[in-house]
Amino acid sequence: MCFLCLFVATCSAVSRRALLILLLLAISFGCKSGAGQRVSLPARVTRVVSLAPNLTEIVFAVGAGDKLVGRTSYCDYPPEAKAVAEIGDTLHPSLERIIALKPQVVLISTSSQLEVFTQQLQNQNIAVFVTDPHDLEGVFRSIQEVGEMLGQKDQADQLVTKLRERTTAVEQAVKGKQPVRVFYQVSAEPLYTAGHDAFVTDLMRRAGAASVTANVPGAWPKYSNESALAARPEAIILPTGGSMGSVNSDVTEALRQSPAALHGRVYKINDDYLTRPGPRAIDGLEAMARALHPDAFK
Amino acid sequence: MNRVTLRKTLISCALLGAVLLLAIVSMSLLGSERLPARASLCALASLGSSACGLTQDQFDILFQIRLPRILLAAAVGGSLATAGAGYQALLRNPLAEPYLLGISNGAAVGTMISLVFFGAIEWTRPLLAFSGAFAATFAVYRLARGRAGATPERLILAGVIVTTFLSSVIVFVTTLMDATRIRSFTFWLLGDLSGSSKALLPVAITITILGALTLTLHARSLNLLMLGERDAFDLGVEVGRVRMVVFLVASLLVGSSVAASGSVGYVGLVVPHLARLSLGSDNRISIPAAALGGALFVIVADTVARTIIAPRELPVGAITALIGAPLFIYLLKRV
Repeated sequence: MCFLCLFVATCSAVSRRALLILLLLAISFGCKSGAGQRVSLPARVTRVVSLAPNLTEIVFAVGAGDKLVGRTSYCDYPPEAKAVAEIGDTLHPSLERIIALKPQVVLISTSSQLEVFTQQLQNQNIAVFVTDPHDLEGVFRSIQEVGEMLGQKDQADQLVTKLRERTTAVEQAVKGKQPVRVFYQVSAEPLYTAGHDAFVTDLMRRAGAASVTANVPGAWPKYSNESALAARPEAIILPTGGSMGSVNSDVTEALRQSPAALHGRVYKINDDYLTRPGPRAIDGLEAMARALHPDAFK
Repeated sequence: MNRVTLRKTLISCALLGAVLLLAIVSMSLLGSERLPARASLCALASLGSSACGLTQDQFDILFQIRLPRILLAAAVGGSLATAGAGYQALLRNPLAEPYLLGISNGAAVGTMISLVFFGAIEWTRPLLAFSGAFAATFAVYRLARGRAGATPERLILAGVIVTTFLSSVIVFVTTLMDATRIRSFTFWLLGDLSGSSKALLPVAITITILGALTLTLHARSLNLLMLGERDAFDLGVEVGRVRMVVFLVASLLVGSSVAASGSVGYVGLVVPHLARLSLGSDNRISIPAAALGGALFVIVADTVARTIIAPRELPVGAITALIGAPLFIYLLKRV
């Protein structure tokens, strides 16, 4: 998310100086860890705006969909979400529209969304709730925190318990299996992958995969083509087919002769499961585990 | 060309050419993966006909990934520096540079149109990039020519206006573009050599060589043009024709390099300056020297970009700007 934010932010300011400033901003505000932080929440929250698809999914999953009064154009799941008013996209939300919706809390999926924006919301007495999970535990935590905030603690706890059970089932199934060396391709040109801080890296580990880029610093690093080739991955995961449509459905050129490609072990998995740290991440976990260890699920 | 100039041109080009060759070979030994140096040199010397004990993966890294990228860096650097030298001579303005004049942005808009509307048809990319560069060149030139003629200040002002206008076009279109496509596009806007397709490599190299040769052949006219258009005309230069040749060739050079790698800044500014400072302002020497020097500059900058935080990478445009801007300030102070 952090990386995407930096990306699109740099695109809207083409000059190099702006890029430098944005880089500094991203370093100082952005890519820091930490699960959640709250700012002066009202006792009973009844109106929230979500600025990220995973948070919209969480709000509905804990049974608080009726409290959601605004969402981004990327928030397309569950289908009921589409009936909620749109406030722009994750990176260009309309402040005016948010204020007009009179939310008590705005949910943001990473702190890299500019500090200024947060400040403006707080000036309007609107609290900001920030999550930035780097692993599955972080995802569970943000589900519980959102649930608690919206007065749905029990339902959130139940949901997390159920998700934990499914996670454990997957982990049990792949236990003892030789981890498959996987390359996770975020985009082919230029080549991006999931690094140490990406929550999907934790998801892959739990699915019985050893990501060849698990120790690369950062969440979504731009990766060297030759290092990808030299890593000789046994399998390649392409997050695609969901919101991405057909984008990212081809393996990058440097990996066309990799053991993974030669043995037909290239797996396309719905990008919405793998890129949204929300309840459906477990669907992604299951899909990856089934693809990598089919014999464990017979 | 008289004998002394010819000799000076040949000697400086031969020297720069040798350094360039050395850079191509030595930089292809560097990368995020370590390759055995002796075997790599042997394979390079055999032009890929013998593996010299390299494993298949090592061989692929050297010949499928590293070498094409280095050659593309050379083409991009050569193109941008040659175009910069051409603009600077023609417009009699040391600050004329594809990036600062908005010509790179023109090519970027062209490429963007090609990506949005003809994503699958690869050859439309250099073609539309060239058209965009040419349109931007013309716009800047027309805007710069006031009643008092084209003063250096007017030219830079026109460049700033065209640059910012085209930047906002780019911002506008990327905002409308869907989020999944923005990612690769924005990286490309900053100048990046990692994702470029190999199909464009022979095109880019051919255009660079032909472009540098054409401008070098017009170098005498450009020398006379530096005295002023009227004086050049009186001395027998077909001013209109030379201007058109430079515009066309420079737009082709910028267009092909932007289509291949995005907008890499500062190359067209810094390299011709260095060439003139070290070899004098005779375009017959400085244009070919700039072409070779530009290739060298971008090869080195890209090697830094792909190794400094390996296995992660930076866009080469960030490195050329980091090296280019301070170097330019130093040059400004010296002149």
